[in-house]
Amino acid sequence: MSSPPGPRRVLITGVSNPLGADVARRLATQVPSLFGCDVADPVSAIEDMDFVHADTRQSVIGKLVRRLRIDTVVHMAVTVDSAGEHRAAHETNVIGTMNVLAGCAGPSSPVRRLVVKSSQAVYGAAPGDASFITEDMAGSDRPAYGLKRDLLEMEQLAQEFALRSSACRVSVLRLGYRVSEGTTLNRYLSLPIVPTFAGFDPRLQLLHEDDAAEAVVRAALQPHEGVFNVAADGIVLLSQAIAIMGGKPAPILPPYGRWIGRLALRGAGVDMPSHLADFLTFGSVTDCSRLARTFGWKPGYSTRAVMDSLARGRDVEVIEAPSPPQEYELQVYLQRRRRLQQNGRPSGALAAPR
Amino acid sequence: MTVEPATSLDSKDLRRRSRKAKVVAPPPSPRLRLPRPIRRLRRQAPMYAIQGLSGLSTRLRQVTGREVIDMNRVMEAVQFVYQQRELAMRGPDYAVDEFGFDAQWTESLLTLFKALYRDYWRVETTGIENVPATGRALLVANHAGVLPWDGTMIKTAIFAEHPHPRHVRALVASLFMGMPVLSWFLRRTGQTVGHPDDTRRLLERDELVLVFPEGVKGTGKPFKDRYRLRRFGRGGFVSTAIRAGAPIIPVSVVGSEEIYPMIGDALPVAKFFGLPYFPLTPTWPWLGALGLIPLPSKWRIQFHPAVHTETHPPEAADDQNVVMTISDEVRNTIQAGVYENLKLRRGVFT
Repeated sequence: MSSPPGPRRVLITGVSNPLGADVARRLATQVPSLFGCDVADPVSAIEDMDFVHADTRQSVIGKLVRRLRIDTVVHMAVTVDSAGEHRAAHETNVIGTMNVLAGCAGPSSPVRRLVVKSSQAVYGAAPGDASFITEDMAGSDRPAYGLKRDLLEMEQLAQEFALRSSACRVSVLRLGYRVSEGTTLNRYLSLPIVPTFAGFDPRLQLLHEDDAAEAVVRAALQPHEGVFNVAADGIVLLSQAIAIMGGKPAPILPPYGRWIGRLALRGAGVDMPSHLADFLTFGSVTDCSRLARTFGWKPGYSTRAVMDSLARGRDVEVIEAPSPPQEYELQVYLQRRRRLQQNGRPSGALAAPR
Repeated sequence: MTVEPATSLDSKDLRRRSRKAKVVAPPPSPRLRLPRPIRRLRRQAPMYAIQGLSGLSTRLRQVTGREVIDMNRVMEAVQFVYQQRELAMRGPDYAVDEFGFDAQWTESLLTLFKALYRDYWRVETTGIENVPATGRALLVANHAGVLPWDGTMIKTAIFAEHPHPRHVRALVASLFMGMPVLSWFLRRTGQTVGHPDDTRRLLERDELVLVFPEGVKGTGKPFKDRYRLRRFGRGGFVSTAIRAGAPIIPVSVVGSEEIYPMIGDALPVAKFFGLPYFPLTPTWPWLGALGLIPLPSKWRIQFHPAVHTETHPPEAADDQNVVMTISDEVRNTIQAGVYENLKLRRGVFT
């Protein structure tokens, strides 16, 4: 198969979530025409992108793709951090992906390139895991539940699609855990006294929001296919991460029967899904050498740098956005103010960069 | 854009940063400030205590004619306390390697393990010259004694006796990695989970890797079967060594069998807790936590000459015949070494 020309008409699903919006912003300058779809309105206007109200859970993607002659689909409508909404996450991840794949399949489909967002959560976390998980270690003999099962099912659908449609190159990106604002991990690490599972200090590997978006953009622009782990270099221990954030670790959650600990955390305002409780007990670190080898690129932030930038409150992608239009800046400013009023603590969005 | 919220954010941000600094090094509160002479005395008290103790030690040596207080040991203990205090001041700014190994912290703990090594189990180590000073190697040892103290002692032996002290990275059953406290401690001191991929990675980083092919079958064997080696798995360690081109160094350990003589196994209890065995020893669980104190048996550790797997091509790793031959050779070397060292030992506790 000869290498196809670069993408010309790109559709991003799930463009209203922060990562999808960031990907759209980066892709807007690099492709001739860009379309985005989601159920919710985008939080901010992006020039050069046509927004379509379309639900991936309905079978509209096929029509959309054919009518707009889309050659590249970036499937970002995958929920990897859903607190307490298992049913909705299952609908979005499995049924949504199934519809998107069905829309892209068939001889009349113009799609030549598909990027699917997945998560490191697909590996789960267990004491017997290798210290560095490679791409082929997913789907172990342990019973899968919750998000892990959904992601496994979703990836299996993507694999089957890749086998069936030889004209379309599929790449699946297993993004590392992110700690940007609004994520469960962020809420957890920002607690003044952070309850941890007693007797465990797992190794954490994280991924910066910028690197996540950059990886998706590169996957969309370059003709690679396969499954790739995307996560930052190096590790931090959970206790280190908490200390960097200025909190104090308190090993008070029972190590066995983790649902008790999860209940306690819900009382503290953090709704922790079970896969995250496993992650914060045993830790999980992936081997990203395949990404570095194939893409010739690796995340710019190390795990330590991700934590440092978060602690400094400089984890803001909006300031560095390429020449944001005025309206956009205004919206971001208002959003930050709203958040500030809600949380009562500075996000650092408007702090002068040092 | 208005300037006012930006500055207020700035000051808040600064305040947060200063609070973070306070966590790292708490300034003394003014309430606890003592008068100057007392503060000076407090600062110098440890020095006076050591001076007094060394004077007493000299006097006692003159009176009794033998070493009653060993000042070297005292200084080691003092150093240990100060090291721990210094480590506690590091805050989050310390590096662990990607396996979670904190070398500085581990080295500070070695004082404790050396005390166990020299004074408690009086370990005699032979053949330390068979351990290479640089480069990769796979140490293979017999496993016994309910809790993996034998791994600790092999690590201490190489760090204390080898002319070129090295850290040994042992592979641990996933069962221990799932236990509270133990998993944290094992990771922090350089152990990793017994996964073939981990072994390969460590060997490729030219580390000394310690593996117990008997696994929990070795630690959980009854006292009457002591010093009889169990099956060496399916020889997975040999395949990994051949692929990595690492020599295998057999290690025989004598003495570990007697630290917790396992006279029974409460299988229903083990099943309830999801453990492979629940040991019953003369002291555990009857005396509670006191039952965890190991008995002071006399130990011997022997490092045997290396079995060179580098001579085999990497394809031999998939040849089960070659693998099992080498595995049996290593097992026989260790078993013979165990019997030899048992003969050299005069009694269990002497």
